[in-house]
Amino acid sequence: MTAPTLEGVSLTGTGLHLAFGSNKVLRGVDLHVDAGKTVTVIGPSGSGKSTLLRVLNRLYEPDAGDVLLDGKSVLKDNPDALRQRIGMVFQHFNLFPHKTVIENIALAPRKLKGMSKDEARALALEQLELVGLAHKAESRPANLSGGQQQRVAIARALAMKPQVMFFDEATSALDPELVKGVLALMADLGAGGMTMVVVTHEMGFARSVSDTVMFMDHGAVVETGTPDQLFDSPETERLQQFLSQVL
Amino acid sequence: MVGSARKLRTAFAILLTMLLALVLTSCSSSGDDASGTRDLCSPPGIESASAAPTNLAQGATEAEDRYTTPDVVPLESIDTSRLGLITPGVLTVGTLSDAPPSICVNSEGVFTGYDNEVLKAIGEKLGLEVQFVGTEFAGLLAQVAGHRFDVGSSSITTTDERRNLVGFTNGYDFGYFSLVVPNGSPITGFSDLNASTRIGVVQGTVQDDYVVNTLKLDPVKFPDYNTAYANLKTGQIDAWVAPSQQAEGAIAPGDPTSIVENTFSVNNFVGWAVAKENQPLIDALNSGLDAVIADGTWAELYTEWVPRELPEGWKPGSKAAPEPELPDFAALAAQSGTEPAGTPAAEQKSTLTQLRETFFDWGLYQKAFPELLKTGLPNTLILALTSGIAGTILGMLLAVAGISRTRWLRWPARVYTDIFRGLPAVVIILLVGLGVGPVVQGLTGNNPYWLGAAALALLAAAYIGEIFRSGIQSVEAGQMEAARALGFSYRRSMSLVVVPQGIRRVLPALMNQFIALIKDSSLIYFLGLLATQRELFAVGRDLNAQTGNLSPLVAAGLFYLILTVPLTHLVNYIDHRLRVGRKEVTLDPLEQDLVVERG
Repeated sequence: MTAPTLEGVSLTGTGLHLAFGSNKVLRGVDLHVDAGKTVTVIGPSGSGKSTLLRVLNRLYEPDAGDVLLDGKSVLKDNPDALRQRIGMVFQHFNLFPHKTVIENIALAPRKLKGMSKDEARALALEQLELVGLAHKAESRPANLSGGQQQRVAIARALAMKPQVMFFDEATSALDPELVKGVLALMADLGAGGMTMVVVTHEMGFARSVSDTVMFMDHGAVVETGTPDQLFDSPETERLQQFLSQVL
Repeated sequence: MVGSARKLRTAFAILLTMLLALVLTSCSSSGDDASGTRDLCSPPGIESASAAPTNLAQGATEAEDRYTTPDVVPLESIDTSRLGLITPGVLTVGTLSDAPPSICVNSEGVFTGYDNEVLKAIGEKLGLEVQFVGTEFAGLLAQVAGHRFDVGSSSITTTDERRNLVGFTNGYDFGYFSLVVPNGSPITGFSDLNASTRIGVVQGTVQDDYVVNTLKLDPVKFPDYNTAYANLKTGQIDAWVAPSQQAEGAIAPGDPTSIVENTFSVNNFVGWAVAKENQPLIDALNSGLDAVIADGTWAELYTEWVPRELPEGWKPGSKAAPEPELPDFAALAAQSGTEPAGTPAAEQKSTLTQLRETFFDWGLYQKAFPELLKTGLPNTLILALTSGIAGTILGMLLAVAGISRTRWLRWPARVYTDIFRGLPAVVIILLVGLGVGPVVQGLTGNNPYWLGAAALALLAAAYIGEIFRSGIQSVEAGQMEAARALGFSYRRSMSLVVVPQGIRRVLPALMNQFIALIKDSSLIYFLGLLATQRELFAVGRDLNAQTGNLSPLVAAGLFYLILTVPLTHLVNYIDHRLRVGRKEVTLDPLEQDLVVERG
């Protein structure tokens, strides 16, 4: 499989705060990804990893802090327009079950970019070939395996030609034998120049694919560094504890 | 699944065959009235003449006539443009279908009966077209007072209480009340009735009033005469107080019942109801009545439809109207051997025979089917479909408002749903049909048909709205999130992704709602329909009223089943498909071949 050449842009979050009522989910999180690089976010459940992604693409509006895409703040932009520039892949795929695979992918380009039906379908088929599922174009998501569904979800996000991709525990819901295929695809994207923020429990992936690893706990970043730094010589006790549990 | 599909097909086939067989037989032999069931809605003729009842209650005729006018305005001086008619040139008449021979629908589906024929003759004298609309007695006077009808024609006995609500013309008929009891009953007269007697009356009739206010007893109230009589025959009630015309009409030879006593009051003659303030119309009808009495038309119609001796001290029309020339009914009755009302009939039928004749009169099925197919079925479908479509659109709006984040949309939707789901369908239909009717008269042309459909739609919307809302809310939050993450706005995420899935999930519930609508459309009956507007139930009901036999209602029931049973099975089938779906998961080879390239 050849990696396509992708044009990722840099993404920065500074001092991000978010609370749901009295529950402070994010307490001043900073994050920076250079264009074309991959940041992996690890940490125990409930540490705020998934919420961080949703604040960065403004599915949740932050209480404080800023988000910069390609160096420019996007908090004043139309949030719908912002999200068109950031692709997102979910733990449970969230494909649209009432549409075929190709319709799932063609929907957003058609309705949001004003493509004709044929243009959108051609684009969708191109994306499907990229994830190796062109032969499933007319299937319903329910008739695909979990791994296939996740690859369709990735194709759906890529069809909008995003500048950044978010992966929210994209392999957590998959049977072990299906994980490899999805991880391989993600690795390809990273290699192809996409800017990626990956929330994952796959430590092998975090170590081998990411440029930077970020460890979060209780809504704050505890430690950041290269994979080697974090996995081989963790500085904080909390990261040591976490790694001893998951490795 | 193959099995259930086959079962479904078999059920379809059986139903279709049934329908076909019934329609074919009814077509091939229509007109051949083999049933022998008498059509109660045709003139019985002079042969049925009866003398004044011999068993008249004491003191019944001792009263003074307070309401009959001394004379009438000359017919020539009446200006029909000043009668305040709903439709100029047309006398819109509210009448009933179930009290032959006074008022009924004949086998051609035309409103007729003695009262209506005399009214038509008067219409001719006045140069007015007469249009009849069927309704229920309980609402008739209110509808006349509310200008839904110009005239109410329903053998209405003119009591003081009713005169508070509407005005009346002079009398064109008179009424004895008859006391009908099962043969062998210990009750022999009105004086035998007491608090422990179960007395049947038709709701809102003068008999109801008589039992409650004069006898001070608590009667069992029925919606119509047939039901009351059927209950007497089956022993559900001990006695039935009925207008003597209806009592005599209902009791068929061989029935195990008889009239034991009659009563009469000269002030309670039978007249047409007109809105109280419309004195010009009352005057016009009075003039017309005197005119048809003078030229002999009244006597002709009276002899043809309700030939019986006039009571002592009463004649039709104003006091100035000529005495009508009638044959000597008492002599005729004696001659033709017609027994005076109240004598028990000779032979009695077995209960089984009675049941069979009541429910399974084949001749009546043959009579009912063409009418049910031509008039009833299309109207039921039109009502169910239009109200279904309108209800779905309105329900969709309610659902969207109900899950809206704006309180000003959510609350009204909630209140609407609570009210319309909490009320019985018939209440909504009556309130909308009779209450809103006069307000939007200009729009509906005083035709309650579409108001009825609207009432059904309003009712259905409340249920459909809840169905949609639950469907939409059952769609996983991830679907909305995925759509938003792609860049769709909230509204487009809703319309493109969430709502279509929600609707798909509730298709079975929607179908069930449609089935309910098919059944509820029968309630439109209460609003009063033209003969051509009658849906399945009304057609069956009218034929039932015409014949006093339940077979037409059973036939109407069959049509409902032919509509609803296949739909019910279709719902089950769709439900099954939606829940099980078609599974064909295969692992593609690529899945295993892919490896992590870096690492």
